[in-house]
Amino acid sequence: MKVEKPSRYIGMEQNMVPKNPDEVDVRFAFSFPDVYEVGMSHLGMHILYNLINKEPRYSCERVFAPWVDMEDQMRKESIPLFAIESKDEVRSFDFLGFTLQYEMSYTNILNILDLAGIPIHSSDREEDFPLVIAGGPCAYNPEPLWEFIDLFVIGEGEEVTLELIKIYDRHKKKGYNKRKFLEEVQATMEGIYVPSLYDVSYNDDGTIKDRFPLISGLPETIEKRMIRDLDGMFSPETMIVPYMETVHDRISMELFRGCTHGCRFCQAGMIYRPIREKSVDRLLELAEKLVDSTGYENISLSSLSSCDYSQLHLLISSLMDRFEDRKVGVSLPSLRLDSVSIDILKEIEKVRKTGLTFAPEAGSQRLRDVINKGVDEEDLVNAVSYAFREGWSRIKLYFMIGLPTETDEDVMGIKELAYLVKDLFFNRPPEERKGNFSVTASASCFVPKPFTPFQWHGQDTIEEFHSKIDLVKGSIKDKKVTFNYHDPRVSYMEAIVARGDRRVSKVLYRAWEKGCRFDGWSEHFKYETWLEAMKELGIDGSFYANRNRDFSENLPWDFINPGPSKKYLQTEYTKAIKGETTRDCRLGCTGCGIKDCAMWGVFN
Amino acid sequence: MILRTRFTKVGYLKYLSHLDMVRLFTRTFSKAGIPIKFSEGYNPHPKFSIGNPLPLGTESLAEYMDVELAYWMDPETFIERMNKSLPQGIQLIESKMVEKRASLTSMISWSHYEIRFMSDKLDEEDDFEEALSKWNSLSQVNITKKRKKGKKKVERQLDIKPLIGNITYKGKDNEDFHVLSALLKSGESGNLKPIELMEAMERELDLKVDLDMVMIKRLDVFTDEDGEIKELA
Ligand code: SF4
Repeated sequence: MKVEKPSRYIGMEQNMVPKNPDEVDVRFAFSFPDVYEVGMSHLGMHILYNLINKEPRYSCERVFAPWVDMEDQMRKESIPLFAIESKDEVRSFDFLGFTLQYEMSYTNILNILDLAGIPIHSSDREEDFPLVIAGGPCAYNPEPLWEFIDLFVIGEGEEVTLELIKIYDRHKKKGYNKRKFLEEVQATMEGIYVPSLYDVSYNDDGTIKDRFPLISGLPETIEKRMIRDLDGMFSPETMIVPYMETVHDRISMELFRGCTHGCRFCQAGMIYRPIREKSVDRLLELAEKLVDSTGYENISLSSLSSCDYSQLHLLISSLMDRFEDRKVGVSLPSLRLDSVSIDILKEIEKVRKTGLTFAPEAGSQRLRDVINKGVDEEDLVNAVSYAFREGWSRIKLYFMIGLPTETDEDVMGIKELAYLVKDLFFNRPPEERKGNFSVTASASCFVPKPFTPFQWHGQDTIEEFHSKIDLVKGSIKDKKVTFNYHDPRVSYMEAIVARGDRRVSKVLYRAWEKGCRFDGWSEHFKYETWLEAMKELGIDGSFYANRNRDFSENLPWDFINPGPSKKYLQTEYTKAIKGETTRDCRLGCTGCGIKDCAMWGVFN
Repeated sequence: MILRTRFTKVGYLKYLSHLDMVRLFTRTFSKAGIPIKFSEGYNPHPKFSIGNPLPLGTESLAEYMDVELAYWMDPETFIERMNKSLPQGIQLIESKMVEKRASLTSMISWSHYEIRFMSDKLDEEDDFEEALSKWNSLSQVNITKKRKKGKKKVERQLDIKPLIGNITYKGKDNEDFHVLSALLKSGESGNLKPIELMEAMERELDLKVDLDMVMIKRLDVFTDEDGEIKELA
C-alpha cells in the first residue's frame, strides 16, 4: 500500500490496550474526527480511552480520519474503516463515539461513517449498527449534527460515558432495541440529548418558534454534566505513546477545569464553569505514574489558563525536583501577561529561551475592556521588558479581528502593539540586547460562539474582515514585524455551523457529498463547494453568521443549560457594548447563575 | 562504554520511520532505566545511533544500534529491561560490549535479504531459474538514481551489477509467493535497495511482478574486510 506516514494506521504503540473481543461485553470505538497525529494530541481521548479500558468487560478502541491518500486506497480496494487496536471493522462495534472539538471537522464525521459502511443518517440505522454518539465542547450546540448522531453527551464525559455503557450492556443482554434504549436514557439520565425525540417549529422569519419533546416524560432542558471532585475522579495514569511525531508530543496533565476570567468571547470559559482544581499531591502522584509508564521527556501543564493554578509555584518546583535526574522537563502551554508567569517560565526553560507567546486578543484598551480581557498595555510592557531582560527575543502576539464594536482605530492597535514590542527591544542599550529579535502578530477572525455573551452578535462579513486585514497588513513595513491572519472564509463557515440549527445539517451533508473533508486544513478547504451546497439548498449563510440576533430570539441551543444563565450572558453583552468590565470571579462571585457553585466556599 | 545491539523490526512495525525508531528508543531507555549517556549542551539527548536505516515497509531481523552507557550495565540485563518495554515487533536479540572504532554505518556494507513476490508470468519454479540465468548473463544493468541537489533534481545512471553479491531462488512459500535470497551492497560504499533490484529485474526480464506487493525482509548484515565478507564484530 502506498500511503504517506503509514504509522498513522498501525497502532501497537506503547500503552495501547489490546483486548480480546470475545472477552468483552461492550465495544466502544472512540473517534477523533481528524488525522491520527492531531487526535492523539487530544487529552480527552486519552482520558476516555483509559477510563473505559479499565473496566474488564468493556473495551475502547480508536478511530481517526484516514488522510486523503489512505481514503483513496480504501475506496479503491473497498477496505472498510477499521479500529486501530483490533483492526476490526468499525461497524461491528456497539458504540461509535465522536469528540466534537471543532466545527470544521464535521464533514470528517460523515466521511468516517461512510468509510465504515455505516448509514450516515441516524434514522437509517437499525440495531445492527453501532450507536453513534458525540460529546465535547461543540456538542453544546448539537443541532447541526442532529440528523447523524443518535445521542449527544452534554458536559464532562467521564461519569456519563460509563453510565451509558452500563445501561446499554443491560439492554444488550435482554435484547437491545435502539429506540427503547434512547427513550430510557433521555428520560432518566442527566447530560443526554437524543435529537430524534424532539422536534422544532419555525417562525416565518426563519427563527425558531418552539421546541418540544415528541413523547411525554422527557426533560425540556438538558442539564450539562459536571464532575465535582477532580481529585476523586478518574485521571489517566498512562497515555498511549505514538511512534510518529504528533502535534503535542508529551504528557498532558490537567491542573484544573474551568476558568474565572470571564473573557466574553470564550466558550470554554463559560461552559466549564465553575473552576475546580486537582491537588498538588494528586498531580505529583499522577506525574510519577505518567512518566514511568510513558518515558516522555516533558510534562505539559494544560488547563484553560494554567498560570491561574493556585499552587503553581509549589507544583512546578516539586515536579522539577522530582524529575531532574530523569531529564524530564515541564512546560506551560498558555501564559498570562505578567512577570510572575515569566518568572516561572524562566525556571522551566533554564537555558533555552524559545519564543514567548502572549494573547492580548485586541489591539486597543477600549476593545480589551469590551471583551473583558483583563490586561492592559502596562502589563504587556512590563511582561515584554522583563522577558527581554531575561534573554528572550522572539515574541508572538495573538489577536482577534471582528470583535463587537471594533473600529479601524482598534484594528490599528494591533500594529501599534507589535511596534511597541519592537521599540521596547531596540530602546534597550545595544550591549543588553540578546538574541535575534522578531515579533509576530497573528490575527484570527472572530467567530461568535453559543453560550458566550457574544452569542447574539453578528459576525463581520468576509469583505469587512479583508478590509481590516488589509489595513493592518498595509501599515506594517518592518522586516522584524510579521503579520499573519486566518482565512476569513473558513471563519465564516465555522460561524454558520457553530450557531447553526437543524437545517444546517443538510448543508454539512451536501458539502460532504460534494467532496468536502478536512475543512480545517487550508489545503483541503473548498469554499466554493460550501457556497454551492448552501445555494442548492436555499440556505442563506448570513442568516446564521452575520445577523445580529435579538435577546428575545429563541436560539437553537437554548434548551441546554451550561451553568451560567442566559440572563447573565445578556448582562455581560450589554456591559460589553458599554465597555464595562466584569471582575475575575475568584475575587468575588459575579453571579453567573450556577446553582450551588463549588467556588462559593473556596473563594468567597 | 558501547553496547552493540542487534534487534528486529517485524510485522506492522516495519512501517516505522527512522525518526520514529529514534523516538521510540529514546523513550524506552528512559522508561527502562538504562544508564544511557547524554550529550552535553543545551538540549541533552541520549547517545545512541542506529546503523543503516531500512526503507519504510521493510522487515528486518538484523537491525543494529550502538548504545553508549554512562556506567556499566550487563548486556543481558539491558536486553531484558528494554524488551519489557519494547513492542513485540521490535525486540533486542543480542548485545555485546565493543570498543568504539568505526561507526555502524561505516561498517555495514552488505545486507542479506529475503524478497517475496507474486508474478503473473512465472508459474513453475523452473521458469524462474531460467529467468535468473538470463539475468546472470547480463554484463551490465543500469538504473536511474534520482537525487536532490539543493532544489534541483539530478538523475544519474548506475550499473547495479557490481552491487549484487549473489541472488538465489528459493522456490515458492506456502502463501504462494516466490522467494528470492539476495546479498546486496548496503551502506556508504554503495547501496542497492531490494525494490530497485526488483524494478530492474521486472524491466529486463518482464516477469509481471506486482511491485506494490513485494515483501522484503533483511535477514542479516555483513562487513567487508579487504574484500572478505564477514559477520559484524
Ligand atoms: S457562580 Fe459565581 S463564583 Fe461560581 S463560576 Fe459563576 S461567577 Fe464564578
